[in-house]
Amino acid sequence: MAEKNKSKAEHAHDEHTAEHFRQKHLMLDPLPRGQMNDMVMEAMTGKPTWKFWLTVVILGSIVVYGLGYSWYRLIAEGLGIAGVNRPAYWGIFLVNTVFWIGISHAGTFISAILRVFKAEFRRPFTRIAELMTTFGLVQAGFSIFMHLGRAWLSYWLVPYPNERMLWPNFHSPLSWDLLAITTYLLSSTMYLFLPLIPDLAMARDKSTGWRKNFYRILAIGFRGTEGEWTHLRNAMNIFAYAIIPVMFSVHTIVSWDFAAATRPGWNSTIYGPYFIIGALHSGMGAAAVVLAVVRGTMKHMDYFIRGEHFDAIGKLMLIISMGWAYFYFNDYIVQWYGGDKWTKQLLHFHEAGPLGWMWLAMLIVNIAIPWAILWNQKWRSNPWLISIVGILINVGMWFERYLIVPVSLAINRMPFTWRLYIPAVEVYLSLGTLALFILFYVIASKLIPFIPVWEVQEGQLAHKLSKFGRETVVTVSELE
Amino acid sequence: MTETVNLLAVFPDLEPASDAVEQLRLLGVTDDHMNVISGVPVTEPMLGRPHAWTNVPRIAFGGAILGMCGALFLIFIVPYLYPYPIQVGPQAYVPGPPSFILLFEITMLGMLLSTFLGVWLESFFPNYRPLQYLPEISDGKFVVYFSCPEASQDKFTKTMTALGAEKVTLAEARQL
Repeated sequence: MAEKNKSKAEHAHDEHTAEHFRQKHLMLDPLPRGQMNDMVMEAMTGKPTWKFWLTVVILGSIVVYGLGYSWYRLIAEGLGIAGVNRPAYWGIFLVNTVFWIGISHAGTFISAILRVFKAEFRRPFTRIAELMTTFGLVQAGFSIFMHLGRAWLSYWLVPYPNERMLWPNFHSPLSWDLLAITTYLLSSTMYLFLPLIPDLAMARDKSTGWRKNFYRILAIGFRGTEGEWTHLRNAMNIFAYAIIPVMFSVHTIVSWDFAAATRPGWNSTIYGPYFIIGALHSGMGAAAVVLAVVRGTMKHMDYFIRGEHFDAIGKLMLIISMGWAYFYFNDYIVQWYGGDKWTKQLLHFHEAGPLGWMWLAMLIVNIAIPWAILWNQKWRSNPWLISIVGILINVGMWFERYLIVPVSLAINRMPFTWRLYIPAVEVYLSLGTLALFILFYVIASKLIPFIPVWEVQEGQLAHKLSKFGRETVVTVSELE
Repeated sequence: MTETVNLLAVFPDLEPASDAVEQLRLLGVTDDHMNVISGVPVTEPMLGRPHAWTNVPRIAFGGAILGMCGALFLIFIVPYLYPYPIQVGPQAYVPGPPSFILLFEITMLGMLLSTFLGVWLESFFPNYRPLQYLPEISDGKFVVYFSCPEASQDKFTKTMTALGAEKVTLAEARQL
């Protein structure tokens, strides 16, 4: 009798443990595939609320004014209406270029690096992150075109001979930029599309009307035969490995735009990795924000995106914040120790100049706040708290780029040219790119399945609960 | 000459689908005459199927070579196409480190573009013709698609049903 009671109690305990794991881990809480498909489709095709339309109208208006009208003015009246002038000839346009390229890094980091290392928590949000790469790079491209002034002549950067048989000068880091950003934009868009094909096929099977035709065209005839999956799996593996060095190269090359110049504050050998860790810092922060917003605003997303995912992203954000602090200090101390008069002057200007508050705020939101909050599992699992940290990190990282670009340009070896950069039309253009980035997400939420259902199901097939002695643990089989 | 028919057997799970593959082989259907269609990737060993051949890695390699050739053209030929030499600081006419950047970026671009193209070529995408397919596949069903002699259709249908097939239908090409 005692034995029977003990076994009953053990069984109840096991059930309780299993339920606890199911609530916590998406991979241990499988639903029928059809139900998961319906949830994703309902989130995407549900009738938009007035809040949705209000968001579209507000963002659309900012885009029209910020990107449309302000850019028209910039083109019609010339770069003179922007704040850029000697010595700060690079202003917010370049700050935004670096910022958006940084944001774009999170997509590849989450999707490719975590795929290569088989980090299972990545599965439900790889697409949301991949979209960030493509959307972010579009904003970076816009920012470069704005900076060019005569944007319609941007094709002069493309390697082909013009009428005077002149080719772009490949000695220049700016032409490396074009190659690297183009390669990254094309690669990340293809990498976004490949794993999307099976979900587009699912959407095709589940839709009617114009959506049916839309998804039929995009699904390009995918059925899910053994051959199709094999080709897709191989291609995704090649992409996952190959896109990582491309991602690293992009921001390293962007850093060389600065580091290759023999200017105080810029001429640093550590700028490559420092820029990359900065890119990951802002990108992961942005990923946390997007994930929290998607979870909070779209139907059924609380099933797919759970506290465990924010917990995992929070850990990455904490580690990356430590890495950023290390690289920042490394860059700082070497420049400080060198004793060069103008570099010292510049460092002092950063810390105690009119924008000293920005320098201090950068350190607080990039280091102090993440360290104070993200060490705690409960706090970092809270979607809204982690998204606030994410927003603050992005503000901090934007400040960092502002200090590197126009503020550093204000101090040079010719004191008679010193002048603080004051942005003008750039502010509206910046708001325009930010609004367009968000608008892209809002529109995509109604057209693209945000959750890669097949990847989630694949993960759920691979996970199970096992007993080791008296303990119940999660085990993962390597199905790929 | 024996007339053949194409059938689609719908299974709720992977296990009975792999059993069906095994049974079909015992009934004389060769691997070339069957395929498993699913909404989730399953490897060939799970299904007991021979390794599916793909040329995607070879196409990717070919693209990388093409990209590299393009980069070498820009590095070694283009500087001599200028009407006058462009000298940048103390750098050589064909500078080493910048050339390496060009070589890396364009080779990678060639490889990734051709990998993407490889999937399209190998899978015959885009394909908007009517195809043998059932929408249930998206909902997690495993469909075994096979050819069998028309005279034995009933026998094959019964065998598949006995193995757990929810339905066995004639494979008709339909607009996806």
